[in-house]
Amino acid sequence: MATNAIDQTRRMLSLVTYLRERPGARVTDVARAFGITEDELIGDLDVLPMCGTSFRGGDLLDIDTDGDRIWWHNPDASGTSTGEPLRLAADEATALLVAARAVATLPGLRESDRQALVRATAKIEAAAGEAAGASSRLSVTFESEGGVFADADRAISERRRVWLRYYSPARDELTEREVDPIRLFAVGHTYMEAWCRLSEARRTFRLDRVAEIRILDEPSDPPPVELRDLSEGLVQPAAEDPEVVIEVGPGGRWVAEYYPHDSAEELADGGLRITLRTPDPASLRRLALRLGRDGRIAAPADLADSARDAAREALAAYGE
Amino acid sequence: MAIAKAERLMNLALCLLGTRRPLSKGELRASIEAYIEAGKGAGGAAAGDDPGNDDAFNRMFERDKDDLRELGLIIETVEGLDGETGYLARRDSNRLPAITLDVEEAAALGLAARVWQQARLAAAASGALQKLAAAGMPLAEDPYGTHSALETRIPVHEAAFEPLMLAARDRRPVVFDYRKSNAARPEQRRVEPWALECWRGHWYLAGWDRDRQAERVFRLSRITGKVRSRALPFTAPVPDHVTVRTTVERWAGEKATGTARIKVRAGHGYPLRARALATHDLGDGWDELEIPYGHGLDAWLVEFGPDVIVLEPAELRAEVIDRLRAVAKG
Repeated sequence: MATNAIDQTRRMLSLVTYLRERPGARVTDVARAFGITEDELIGDLDVLPMCGTSFRGGDLLDIDTDGDRIWWHNPDASGTSTGEPLRLAADEATALLVAARAVATLPGLRESDRQALVRATAKIEAAAGEAAGASSRLSVTFESEGGVFADADRAISERRRVWLRYYSPARDELTEREVDPIRLFAVGHTYMEAWCRLSEARRTFRLDRVAEIRILDEPSDPPPVELRDLSEGLVQPAAEDPEVVIEVGPGGRWVAEYYPHDSAEELADGGLRITLRTPDPASLRRLALRLGRDGRIAAPADLADSARDAAREALAAYGE
Repeated sequence: MAIAKAERLMNLALCLLGTRRPLSKGELRASIEAYIEAGKGAGGAAAGDDPGNDDAFNRMFERDKDDLRELGLIIETVEGLDGETGYLARRDSNRLPAITLDVEEAAALGLAARVWQQARLAAAASGALQKLAAAGMPLAEDPYGTHSALETRIPVHEAAFEPLMLAARDRRPVVFDYRKSNAARPEQRRVEPWALECWRGHWYLAGWDRDRQAERVFRLSRITGKVRSRALPFTAPVPDHVTVRTTVERWAGEKATGTARIKVRAGHGYPLRARALATHDLGDGWDELEIPYGHGLDAWLVEFGPDVIVLEPAELRAEVIDRLRAVAKG
């Protein structure tokens, strides 16, 4: 993590208060308590001896480390004391409170954990005082797939296989499969990452598309897989996936907001030409139908044809 | 080598926190090595002869105070008898009130602090935990071991998020270009930002639209270009409860205004069946469903192509046929 001067200053001010109470603290323990690497901590310890009020007749902070323990030789020297821990800034209170309130509403969170979070939130609100006020200006709502979540969570903790009836919007069908759950995560929607015995591959299931879930007696036995990095997008098309080109008018610009794409070129009428890749172009027939007069599939031709055929077939059923 | 900014900020903080009386800008300038070094300038001229150095120092000093205020430091400015402004950070106004957290509470906060995918809030959450650690919060043994298997992330992909968050925090009006979902061109909007809300992974802003003189909700991904904020007061009162979610649910068609009767081919349309108020097997490979009817239902039903047929109301049926015709013409 690149260290920004403001974050480092914030951390060093807390560090000084922390170290005062703990002579001979271990580098590993302090790094862990501060959520930083040992290298970052050593970097801070290199700066601290140059800080103090020596130009005002005080002292510099005489703090050093042998790489294992940290020693402060003049904790009582004049002008080096920041004394008590500092009040929370508005952004700090907001970051912590908004996250805590959001996590506390998650379905399936263990009751004891939820209670701990609710207690902690109340204490932070009280301690932050005025700084807590701005936290009401941000809020986050997670989806609540309560029942499915609870079963998936139990299957993970008991290491058991589950049976799913899962809805695929691309095919408009329900499929049944047995999967070995790996983990649950929430990024907007709540998902289960699992090893699918049917496809012999890792799959991500959106919990609001799970029509039915049953915990099986068989133990879960997913092969070791590297967990995907959630900070990247959930949809990561492969370079070899077929390309789809969609031309939308102004009313179809939302497509670029919902579908990860390679490019979105502005068109003269205020629309966009969107190029994206997907392993399964047929899955975009739904999109072509939804767009109506707001857009059309420019390529591939068979996808455009299948949308047109579907519309004609539907119109025939209406007697059109 | 230039003195690192973190060292300079740290020294300014220590001077302001360590003093009992307000210190003038001149005293602070003479008290901090980085300011003395900056004052010497790079050229041969004596520092005092070069007004550019004073300007540079003044700008640096103002920025440094702002940075320390971002960290939560309350820096008071006091007018001295001699007309000179003095600065100090009083201990009692900068102290974190006593707070005692147990191991479970510490673990829960540690887990919550990790959810931000936005750099500024992630750093602020870590900073908050560090202040709490300094205040004696115990170290959670293994935050994952004792907790739910759920990993949570709050996605923030929209560039407009940070400037709007700061403007909402400081109650400053903003100006941005906004393209409505069906508009070809963006239009400039002047807004007093009240609150931001993340729903289904997308961020929305609720605020007072100065030109329309009404409350409006904006989707952040539709803001184009930069968000500019003005250091001006709000003109409209901020309501106690801001209803971002209700508005967005209405857009998304979550609020039904009636019911519709549709036919769905057997084995298809699971999400429609999941929300059906009633279902009858018609015996010919089709089922009849009664479903809630709200904004956007026509577009959704068309997605199912020939597997869904609208029976009533007539207006919904006409809308769906109209959309199908557009696709059939291709």
